[in-house]
Amino acid sequence: MNARPKIGVYICHCGINIAATVDVEEVVRFASTLPDVVVARNYSYMCSDPGQALITEDIQNMGLNRVVVASCSPRMHEPTFRKTLMSVGLNPYFLEMANIREQCSWVHEDRIAATEKAKRLVESAVVKVRRLEPLEVKEVEVEPSCLIIGAGIAGIQAALDIADAGFKVYLVEKTPSVGGHMAQLDKTFPTLDCSACILTPKMVDVANHPNIELLTYSQVEEISGYVGNFDVKVRKKSRFVDVSKCTGCGACAEACRQAGRIPSEFDEGLGMRSCIYLPFPQAVPAKYTIDKETCLFLTRGKCGDSPKCVEACEAGAIDFEMKDEMLEFKVGTIIVATGFDVFDARNKPEYGYGTYPEVVTALEFERLVSASGPYGGKVVIPQRGKKKKKKEGEEEEAPRVPKNITFIQCVGSRDKSVGNEYCSRVCCMYTAKQAHLAKDKIPDAEITIFYMDVRAFGKGYEEFYDRVRREGIRYIRGNPSEIFRRGDKLVVRAEDTLTATPMEHETDMVVLSVGLMPRSDRREIIDLLKLSSSPDQFYLEAHPKLRPVDTATDGIFLAGACQGPKDIPDAVGQAKGAASAAMILMASGKVKVEAQTSVVDEATCRGCGFCVEICPYSAIELVEVNRMGWPVKVARVNEALCKGCGACAAACLSGSIQQRSFRDLQILPQIEVLGVSD
Amino acid sequence: MAENTRETFEPNIVAFLCNWCSYAGADLAGTSRIHYPSNVKVVRVMCTGRVNPLFVMNALQQGADGVLVSGCHPGDCHYMQGNYYARRRFTLMRRFLEYLGVEPARVRMSWVSASEGSKWKEVVEEVVEGVKAVGPMDQFKRRQLNW
Amino acid sequence: MVDQAKLREVAREVISREDVRLLIGYRPGTYGFRARPAFVESAEQVEELVFTPACVSNLASYLVLEEKPPLPRGAEPDNRKVAVMVKGCDSRALVQQMVEKAYERDHLVVLGIPCSGVVDMARVEARFPGVLSAGSIIREGDDFVLSFDGKTEKVPAAELLADKCKRCRYPTPLVSDIMLDDEVERFAEDDFSDIAELEGKSVEEKWAYWAEKFSRCIRCYSCRNVCPMCYCEDCILDRLKPVWMRRSVDISENTAFHISRAYHLAGRCIQCGECARVCPVDIPLMELNRKFYKDVEELYDYEPGLSTEATPLLSTFSVEDREDFIL
Repeated sequence: MNARPKIGVYICHCGINIAATVDVEEVVRFASTLPDVVVARNYSYMCSDPGQALITEDIQNMGLNRVVVASCSPRMHEPTFRKTLMSVGLNPYFLEMANIREQCSWVHEDRIAATEKAKRLVESAVVKVRRLEPLEVKEVEVEPSCLIIGAGIAGIQAALDIADAGFKVYLVEKTPSVGGHMAQLDKTFPTLDCSACILTPKMVDVANHPNIELLTYSQVEEISGYVGNFDVKVRKKSRFVDVSKCTGCGACAEACRQAGRIPSEFDEGLGMRSCIYLPFPQAVPAKYTIDKETCLFLTRGKCGDSPKCVEACEAGAIDFEMKDEMLEFKVGTIIVATGFDVFDARNKPEYGYGTYPEVVTALEFERLVSASGPYGGKVVIPQRGKKKKKKEGEEEEAPRVPKNITFIQCVGSRDKSVGNEYCSRVCCMYTAKQAHLAKDKIPDAEITIFYMDVRAFGKGYEEFYDRVRREGIRYIRGNPSEIFRRGDKLVVRAEDTLTATPMEHETDMVVLSVGLMPRSDRREIIDLLKLSSSPDQFYLEAHPKLRPVDTATDGIFLAGACQGPKDIPDAVGQAKGAASAAMILMASGKVKVEAQTSVVDEATCRGCGFCVEICPYSAIELVEVNRMGWPVKVARVNEALCKGCGACAAACLSGSIQQRSFRDLQILPQIEVLGVSD
Repeated sequence: MAENTRETFEPNIVAFLCNWCSYAGADLAGTSRIHYPSNVKVVRVMCTGRVNPLFVMNALQQGADGVLVSGCHPGDCHYMQGNYYARRRFTLMRRFLEYLGVEPARVRMSWVSASEGSKWKEVVEEVVEGVKAVGPMDQFKRRQLNW
Repeated sequence: MVDQAKLREVAREVISREDVRLLIGYRPGTYGFRARPAFVESAEQVEELVFTPACVSNLASYLVLEEKPPLPRGAEPDNRKVAVMVKGCDSRALVQQMVEKAYERDHLVVLGIPCSGVVDMARVEARFPGVLSAGSIIREGDDFVLSFDGKTEKVPAAELLADKCKRCRYPTPLVSDIMLDDEVERFAEDDFSDIAELEGKSVEEKWAYWAEKFSRCIRCYSCRNVCPMCYCEDCILDRLKPVWMRRSVDISENTAFHISRAYHLAGRCIQCGECARVCPVDIPLMELNRKFYKDVEELYDYEPGLSTEATPLLSTFSVEDREDFIL
């Protein structure tokens, strides 16, 4: 079948990365003695153009039909060298790599031991490559549609880009409205343009775009299939309001018996809403939703004599019988844009959040300074737990306006004590912005910011930070140790680390610059899509530098803060990146599928079905074939579904099902050479 | 190997690593320049689900003093379930080999994720130490016959 | 004990059916009271059928080992049913074969034999040397009654019973179409104390024990060939690409062979004991199988060969499976 193997072995110095620890010349000498090795060479950088040329020239001049590259991890450069082989007409699967950098030279110090190990690894690659077979790279069609999970700014941007390019988008959002965290913000740094003003038009666009099917108050329940052909099941949760009838007039919310009693998520619990609600005035879609957790009629089956919202709704849109709806559709690509949670300041009890009403989080402060917020944009000390709606005639106690405001940065970021080592990347700048806004609203207020370092790395950020400092805002370098009450003031105890002075700082209000956290419900998506997490628990990209929007699974991409803390420009940038990555697949219309799939020897398969049972992708089925006149059942692999995990091959007792490139015949010789002790 | 005493014995260990978690974790140890003993030599497979427990037997027979199978943490398998199948197979095989008189220290399994470069080092160290403590594999190692 | 006349009567009816092509039962051996398999294709042959405590072999093996020679072009395969006589233990082989999709249930006519135990021929031979070459044996109450050289000997059953019967959990067949006798209640328990004993020893003692056993192996593969679960078209032991282990008879290759054989039966062995019975060099093969059986039951609460609805043990998992040894 295959011609006698003629193997070329190419050993990379990787500058001194390998050569400093491994005696490359010695490995070359050793490799040239191995069976079927025709040539063994070394070069400073095999992955460079001249390095690759060494290989292609040998293939052409010496008739090599197998190549071993001993260099970095195959996870790094296997695709590179496969292309090298392909460029001169050799099947790309006649390549085997020996990882003598990441798993040898970089982790061992003893030159002799590292060299010996490198020799073994090269030998293991040689004995495997001898038995490799050419594989066919197959293509499948890509459904020209994209599922985007999460409709914050990243999801919205990706949806608009893809839809504008002419592809169908399913934009799924868990909450009743699109907008995400950005909708909660007042102004945005460093330009101070109003968040709603730049976001709202985009929100409206996603709702109206002919190529976007917007599924708010919906959750992805099931995803199966593979790149180009994902089958998606989405649960459209019941709003108990017929959106085709709801005019968004709001009469229902005013009528609700619980009006003003339910903490508003959008206002971070500082404002109140009704059980039937619009999350915020600019919500898209502008349709009301009944919260079934609090609605009296839905929880108790009774709301007075009859639910007031029903009476109030002239359109007759309210329907307590409404059920969740299941939608099923096919997409070719998926973008995950599920965003973040903010750090729960209760996990830093020394700052007294939850104990002192004067201590608020930065996101709460956004709602305070926002004109659409619960205090109409006044910077005040919020009255927590007090009902805004008073009985007639009762005097309303006016909220206190602070004259001294203190911001504390890095709450829940760069803090190993709460398990977050990372920098949240937005707090320095939003603190500067909030300090500026506070100063703007209360010009005579004294404003102090406690910080560890100020990281103003973005475009216009340093300039903005400088401007804020000039406005008379005091920056003190030091991480406060505690906050306690003294009279009607709060005292922040800290050390000014620039002057090494312990200090107590009296203030009326404290704003905690809370960091960004991976979402508490992140496991749902991990389970659904089999994503991995990085050590900080954000979703893991395929490569931290070169594939920042890809995941390990083909056809699934990441956008926004679900991959790591990001400010708005970065989230938008990544969203556009993810959109373009998805569009590459959809525009080309086809994608190469796994070639290292499983294959059944039908002559020896006994049809026991162990592999059928074990396959996580249902890629194997039993079919009846004719074996010398007798009908027998044998396993057969659907190669478009097979992902190449090889679990079937280990389950098969007779070795009749094998994984291409990982056959028993290919692995056992590796074990043989690695098992031999020196 | 005959000249090996317990003190100078450097065990030879064959490891089967899944491409997505443990192999990537071992790569990360490399990129992070975390040093560890050179006794472990890796066979890359796509998933621990591919690892036939008879590979373990074969490695021990070929002369390996120990075998390590390492994959993704439960629930994190790139192929969803492969590590769960591997867990069953190796639990049984390890107990069986112990029943035959093969020290359990020679048959190890670990979960090392793509982000656990330092855990990979710890696993290697622990496995090497464990095999050192039980000495060279002697039970059914294949002898080189001189005809 | 099964009424021999009734057995033949039922067999006659079954083999006379148009949809049954073969009946597999037992007939007396050439000498003495050994029994051997009988392959009955017509009603005339039923007169030779018997069932006695000497009917030790597991006939389920023949269901999957029957050779299927190439059919001439255009010839229709004979897909008629096969009838088979099974004891309790043997019936589990049928169940497990069906779990592994060897055939459909309606391919079989199962003649169930509730069984109170068969004899261990080695024990009979040890007690009455030479007796195996002539004589007969029946069960009477708690005794075996042996007739040879014109005399009869009564021996308490426990003294001659095969080991597998002394710990038989399923004496009455779990699957059958026609039960040839009244159900036999479970008369024994299996606490795996034989396995636990060796488990309690040091690794050195364990290896010393097995090294001695394995070094005897002549690699005749009788254990594999007799096993009702070993019926791959192409056994890995016979494969040349790749060679999993060499054919040479030495401790290394022999051990590899025994590990492979036992592992391949993990979660599949139904404890009929045939492998150990046929071993010409008395390797206690069932101890290997029973180690897996014990662990599988302990760890996964799983016994093979009980239900045709079961999922093969190693083709499934539980998220909760124990993993205390994993780093």
